[in-house]
Amino acid sequence: MDYEAQLKLQAYLDGELPEKEAQEVANWLARDQEAAGLLTELRQTHKALGGFEEGIRLPESREFFWSKLEREIERLEPAAPRRTAPVRLLAQLRRLLVPMAGLALLVIAGLMVFPAGQSPEPMEATFADSGGMIHRDDMAKATFVSLAYPADDESADDEMGQPD
Amino acid sequence: MRIRLVPATLAFGFVTALVLAAGSVFSAQAGDSKFQAILAWGTDDTKPPEGKESKPLDPEIRKQLKSLKWKNYFEVRRVDFVVPPGAMKKTNMSDKCEIEVKDLGSPNIEVALFGKGKEVTRVKRVPLPKGEIFVPYGNAPNETAWLVILRRIE
Repeated sequence: MDYEAQLKLQAYLDGELPEKEAQEVANWLARDQEAAGLLTELRQTHKALGGFEEGIRLPESREFFWSKLEREIERLEPAAPRRTAPVRLLAQLRRLLVPMAGLALLVIAGLMVFPAGQSPEPMEATFADSGGMIHRDDMAKATFVSLAYPADDESADDEMGQPD
Repeated sequence: MRIRLVPATLAFGFVTALVLAAGSVFSAQAGDSKFQAILAWGTDDTKPPEGKESKPLDPEIRKQLKSLKWKNYFEVRRVDFVVPPGAMKKTNMSDKCEIEVKDLGSPNIEVALFGKGKEVTRVKRVPLPKGEIFVPYGNAPNETAWLVILRRIE
C-alpha cells in the first residue's frame, strides 16, 4: 500500500473526506483486507491517544484570537523605546568609560615604569674643577663621583678632613 | 565566545586604577627620608693611620667599593640625618667637608659636596633607593683617597 493510500485511510478515519470519496474508501475497505487491517490499527491508535489529547478550545474564533493578539502587540510597541532608553545611556557611558579605563591603565603602567618622583632624565653633574667624572657599578649598586679635589699638586694637607 | 565588558565593570576598573595610582603616588611621597653619610679613607696599607680613631669599613659597603682601586678602607666618621620631603639638609662630615642632600621625591636626590666652604660638585637627579650607595671621592696624599659614602637608611 502506498503512502497516498495510507493518508487517505487516515483522512477517512478522521472524517475529513467528502462523501463521495468516503464511499469509495468504504468500498475499497470491503475488498481489501490489508486496508481494513490498517484502518483497524489506526482506529485503535486513535482511541489509545485520544485519552491523552485534551483539545484546546478557544472561546473565540481563530481569526478573532489572532487579530486580538496583533492589536495587543501594537498597543505594547510604543513602550518598547522607553525600555531601551537606559540601554542607550549605558552605551554612551561605556563609550566614555572605555577610553578612560585605558587612560587609567596607561597611568598605572607609567607609574610602574617611572615610580613617583623618579625622573627618567639622567643625572647631571657640575664640578668646580675639571677632571671630575661619574661612573656607575650596576653590580655593586654604586654610583661614584671621581673628583680632582684636592688636586694632586696642591699641598697635601687635610683637605677633606681625612686622617693625616 | 565574545567577552562583554559591562559599564559597571569598566567603572569599577577605572576607580580601582585611580585608587592604585593615587595610592602609589601618596605612598611614595609620604614620610621623611633617612640617610647615612660615612667619611672614609682608602689606602693600600693594612692599618689605619697612627693616632687616628678609625675602624675598618662595614664589609657590606666594602663589597660595593670593589670597583675602586684601594685595598682597604677605614671609617673616619658616620653621620645619620633626616631630610623631609622636598627639603634640603646640609651635614658636616669634618671641619672642612660638608655634604648637602636635597630630596627630589623618593628615590631621587640632589647631592652637593663642599670643601672648605666651596662647592666642589653638585649632582642632580641621583637615584638612591635603599641598598644603593653614592660615593664622591678624591685623591689624598701618599696614594690614598678620601670618600664620602652616602646611602639611604629609610
